[in-house]
Amino acid sequence: MLQKQVLENFQKIVGPENVDDSEVMTNAYSYNWCMEFVNSSEGKEPIPFSSIPKAVILPSTVEEVQQIVRLCNQYKIQFKAQSTGLGPWNQPSSENCVILDLRRMNKIVKIDHRSLYAVVEPYVSGAQLQAETMKFGLTVHMPGAGPQVSPLASATSMNGPGFTSPHTGHSARNVLGVEWVLPDGEILKLGSVGMKNDSDWYIGDGPGPSLRGIMRGWAGAKSGIGVFTKVAFKLFPYPCSTKFKLSGNSPDYEFEIPDYMKLYVMDCKSYSHLEKVFLAIEEEEISFICSHLSGYGLGAIFSNSIGSLMDKIPIAGMLVPLVVLIAARTKREFEYKQKVMSKILIDFNLENVIGSKYTPNSLFYAEALRSNLGLHGFIATGGFQSSKGQCDTVKVCVKTTKESIPLKKKYIKKGVIGNDFGEGVWITSYESGHYFHIESPTMFDQTDEKSVKGMAENMEENYQFDLLKHLGAPFFVEGDKMHDLFGPEMMNYHIWLRKIKKAFDPNGIADSGFYISAK
Amino acid sequence: MNNHIDTLVHSLAKICGSKNISVDPNVLNPYSSDMSFFKGNNPNLIVWPSKTQEVTKIIKLANQMDFSIVPVSSSSNDRHHGDTIPRKDNCIIMNLTKMDKILSIDKKNRVVMIEPGVTFEKLIPKLQQSGLRLLLPLYPTGTKSVLTSVLEREPIIIPRYHWDTSDPLLCTEVVFGTGDLFRTGTAAGPGTLSQQKKAGQAHVNPMGPTQFSPYRVIQGAQGSLGIVTWATMKLEFIPSEQKVFHYHSNNIEELLDFQQKLANYRLCDETFILNNLNLACLVKKSREEIENLTNSLLKWNLIYILAGRGNLAIDKLNYLEGDINDLMRDSNLTHLESSNLIDKNEILECMNNYTAEPWRTRYKGSYQDIFFISNFENIPKYIKKVELKHPENLGIYIQPINQGTSYHCEFDLFYDSENGSETNDLEGKFNEISIDLMDCGAFFNRPYGYWAREVYARHIEQTSTALRKVKKIFDPNNVLNPGVLCFDK
Ligand SMILES: Cc1cc2nc3c(=O)[nH]c(=O)nc-3n(C[C@H](O)[C@H](O)[C@H](O)COP(=O)(O)OP(=O)(O)OC[C@H]3O[C@@H](n4cnc5c(N)ncnc54)[C@H](O)[C@@H]3O)c2cc1C
Repeated sequence: MLQKQVLENFQKIVGPENVDDSEVMTNAYSYNWCMEFVNSSEGKEPIPFSSIPKAVILPSTVEEVQQIVRLCNQYKIQFKAQSTGLGPWNQPSSENCVILDLRRMNKIVKIDHRSLYAVVEPYVSGAQLQAETMKFGLTVHMPGAGPQVSPLASATSMNGPGFTSPHTGHSARNVLGVEWVLPDGEILKLGSVGMKNDSDWYIGDGPGPSLRGIMRGWAGAKSGIGVFTKVAFKLFPYPCSTKFKLSGNSPDYEFEIPDYMKLYVMDCKSYSHLEKVFLAIEEEEISFICSHLSGYGLGAIFSNSIGSLMDKIPIAGMLVPLVVLIAARTKREFEYKQKVMSKILIDFNLENVIGSKYTPNSLFYAEALRSNLGLHGFIATGGFQSSKGQCDTVKVCVKTTKESIPLKKKYIKKGVIGNDFGEGVWITSYESGHYFHIESPTMFDQTDEKSVKGMAENMEENYQFDLLKHLGAPFFVEGDKMHDLFGPEMMNYHIWLRKIKKAFDPNGIADSGFYISAK
Repeated sequence: MNNHIDTLVHSLAKICGSKNISVDPNVLNPYSSDMSFFKGNNPNLIVWPSKTQEVTKIIKLANQMDFSIVPVSSSSNDRHHGDTIPRKDNCIIMNLTKMDKILSIDKKNRVVMIEPGVTFEKLIPKLQQSGLRLLLPLYPTGTKSVLTSVLEREPIIIPRYHWDTSDPLLCTEVVFGTGDLFRTGTAAGPGTLSQQKKAGQAHVNPMGPTQFSPYRVIQGAQGSLGIVTWATMKLEFIPSEQKVFHYHSNNIEELLDFQQKLANYRLCDETFILNNLNLACLVKKSREEIENLTNSLLKWNLIYILAGRGNLAIDKLNYLEGDINDLMRDSNLTHLESSNLIDKNEILECMNNYTAEPWRTRYKGSYQDIFFISNFENIPKYIKKVELKHPENLGIYIQPINQGTSYHCEFDLFYDSENGSETNDLEGKFNEISIDLMDCGAFFNRPYGYWAREVYARHIEQTSTALRKVKKIFDPNNVLNPGVLCFDK
C-alpha cells in the first residue's frame, strides 16, 4: 500500500480509477509464470509469487509515465514497467516498487508501408499489428513467445529470437526511432525522432554514437533502464499471399494454405550433417523458417495435446530433424526456391517426410505465419523454461546441443524435468544464416516442488557448464548475482554496465532485479 | 622541442620505440588540416603503435600526462570531414596504419577479422581469392581504412544486406578512453578468443555482452570513446553471375518509386540513384569523358544489379528479372528509359572494387560533400533546395539503407580548390546549404566538423546530455578526440 499522500499524487496524474493499491489487486500482480522457479533459484520458497508491489498504476501517455517516474524519484519508490506482463521478469524485486502496467498505451501510431516500418505503443500485440500490416502485404518480426506479446517489449526490453528469424531477423536489430522515459524522468528520443523540427521515426542511431547500445544488448534491460513508450521497428514483406482463411473451432481450426508455401522436414541423422545442411540452406537465402528441434520438439509443434503428440511417431522418431518452411510472393520465386531445395536434398542425401510420411494439419501453416509455434512447448508438462540462449555460429550451437545432452539426461533421470532424451533444443538461423542461437526448452511441472527445485538446479548447472566450456553467454544473465558470475569471465563488462546504470539512474529507481544495480 | 613534448616523446618511445614517433613538422603538417573547411590545431607529435598493448599504454599515459589523442587509420592523406584535425592544444595523432593485419578470413561463417590499418586495396583482393566480398560503400578509395569506413557508418550499396544501421560491423576489440581493454558482442566471452574459437565461435553476433551493446556507441563516435584495435565484419559470397541494369529518367519521383519496390521486395543486390554528373564521375576518369557522358545521360540514373551464385545462378536471375518486369508493368512507369550508354563492366568495376583515386575528385579536383539521412518522402524536397542554391557542378547520390527504411542523401559540390575565389564562394554555400537542410528536417546522423554544434542544437537537449554521460563513462578525462560531437564542454 502507498501512503495516502503518495497515492493521491499518483491519482492526480492518471486519475483515481487508474491507480490501485488494494490488497487484492497488488497480490494478483505478484503472481507470474515461472516465478516459482526464480524464487527457487534465489533460495526462496518455490511459490509463484514475487514481492508484492505497492500499487499498480496505468498511465496512458508518455507525459503521464514521465510524471509517475518523477514522483517515484521524489518518494524513492522503484517502478517496474510491463507491456503484456507474462513472465517473472515483470515482477518487482522488492516491496518498495510500483508496477506500471502499460495496457492503456495500446495504439499503433504509424504504419509506413512504403518505408517498411511501424511505430507502436507498449500494449499493441504482434497479432494486432500483423493484421494491420498484412493489408499492405507486410509482416512483423515476432519473438518465439508468440503473437500475443508486445513487439515493443521485445524490441526494447527483452530478447528477440523468433521462428521467422531467417527472414525477419532479431528484435534488437530491427529497432529504428525510440521514445524512452529515462529513470530520472527525462524523455529521450533516439535518432531522427529526436529532432526538434520535422522529427520522424525512420532511424534510431545518432547523431553520432547510437544510444541503442545503452538501451539494450543481446538481452534487454527488462525495465531496469527506464520505460519505453513508443518504438519504431522494421516491417518485412509478407512471405506469401496474404489470404488468411480460417474455419472451425479452437484449437482445431482448418486453414486454407495460401499460395505459395512449402514445408520440409528432414532428418539430418547426425549433428555434423545438421551443421552443413543448415549452412547450405541459409546461404541460399530462401527460408522463412529454418529451425532445428529435437524429434520430440518436432512432434510437439504439430500437436495440440498429449494425446495428439502420441501419434507423431513417424516424425518424433527422427534423430536430428531440420524444419524448413519456404514461402514466396510469386510463382517464379516459389519454383526457384523449390528447385534450390530439391538440389540440397540430393546433395545432402536428405528426404522430405512432409507429404510422404507425414502431413501436418493445415493449422500448422497459420501458426507458422503468426509465430505461434512456441505455445506447443507447454503441452507436455504445463511449464517450460529455456536454459542456454547463446548466439553466434551454427557450430557453437550444435556443439552446445551435443555436449549438453548428458547434463540434461542427469535431470531427466532424477525425474524432475520432462524426458526429451536430453536432445530438446531449438536452434534457429538469423538473417539468412549470418548467426544462430540455441536454447534448451526444458519442461517441468510448476505445481511440483521437487520438479521446480530440480529445474532451478538444472539451470544453475547449465550456467556453470557454459562458463567452463566457453560456450557463450546464455539468455538469463540478469540480476546482480548472474552479472557477478559472468562479468569476471567476460572482460569485466559488469563494471561498465553498473556505470551505465549509475549514470542513467542515479537514484536507483528503475527496479534492477532483472538488470544490474549500481551497487 | 619544449620540455613537455620532450618528456612525452621519451615516454612514448618506451612504449613503441623511438622510430615509431615523429615530431617532424613535415610529417605533422598534413594532420593539421584536411580537405574540409574545418580549422583546428597542430598536433604535437605522431605515434605509430603496432599492437593493442601499445594502444592501451599510450591511452593510459594520456590520462596520466594530460594530453589527448586523435586516432587515424587510413594510409592516405585524403581525409575529408575534419574529424581527425586536433581541436585542442596538447594533442597527438595516433596513426594505426601499422596495425594492418587481416587476422582471419572465415568463409564458412562469412566473416573477416581485421585491424584498423587494413585498407580496401589490401582486403578486397584477399577476400576475392576466397570467393568472398565485403559490403562496400560506393567505389571506395583503395587507401582508406575499411574499419573506419564501417565505424563511420558509411552507407553500403546493397540495402537488402543492411539489416541494421550498424552493418557490416560485428564484434570489436576496443581500448576505451580510460585505457581499459574491452571486447564487444560475443567476443567478450566467456573465455579468451582462442577458447571461444575452439568452442566453434567466430564472433558473428555483435549484440551484447548481455544487456548492453557497447559497439553501437563506439560506432559513430569519431574516435572519442574508444580506439578499436580489431573488428569482425559481415561478408557475403561473390556471385557467379551479375547482371547490371541502368535506367535513366528526368523524373526522380518515378525512379525513387521503382527503386523502393526493388528494395522492399529484396529483389536486387546493389542499387542506388545518381544524377548524371555523379554517375559520369563514377565510371569515367577524365574531365572530358565526364562531360560527354553527363551530356548524354538523362538527369537521374538508377542502377541495380541482379546476382546469383552456383548451379542455379541463371535460374535465380531469370526469376528476379521476371518478377521485376511484372513490377514495372504494374507500376506503369512512363518516364523510365533503359540505357546502354555505359559499358556494364565499367559499372560492375565500381560495384566490386576500389578506386585508386577518389572518384569524387575526378571532375574538378576537389569536392565538399553534404550528406544526411532522410525518409523517402522528403528526398525530392531536399534535392530542390540544394539545386536552387547550387545548380552547377553538383553531384547527387541517393542510397537506400537499412533495407529501405531510410536513405543516405549526398550532395557533392565539385570545385577547384586551387582557385581562391571559387573556394571562398563554395565555403559560404557549403555552410548555408547545410544549415538550410538541417532546418528543414534533414537528419545529419554523422555530424562532422562545424556541423556538430548545429546538429545538436537542433536535437532535444536530452540527446547531448545522454551522450555526455556515455562520454564520462568511457573517457572520463576527455583524452580521446576532445571537442568532437557534443563533447565540447
Ligand atoms: C512461453 C514464452 C516463450 C518465449 N519465447 C521467446 C522467444 O522465443 N523469443 C523471445 O525473444 N522471447 C521469448 N519469450 C520472452 C518474450 O520475448 C517476452 O515475454 C516478450 O517478447 C515481450 O513481450 P511481453 O508483452 O511479454 O513483455 P512483458 O512481459 O510485458 O515485458 C518483458 C520485459 O520487459 C519489460 N518491459 C516491458 N515493457 C516495457 C516498457 N515499455 N518499458 C520498459 N520495460 C518494459 C518488463 O519489465 C519485462 O521485464 C518467451 C516468453 C514466454 C512466456
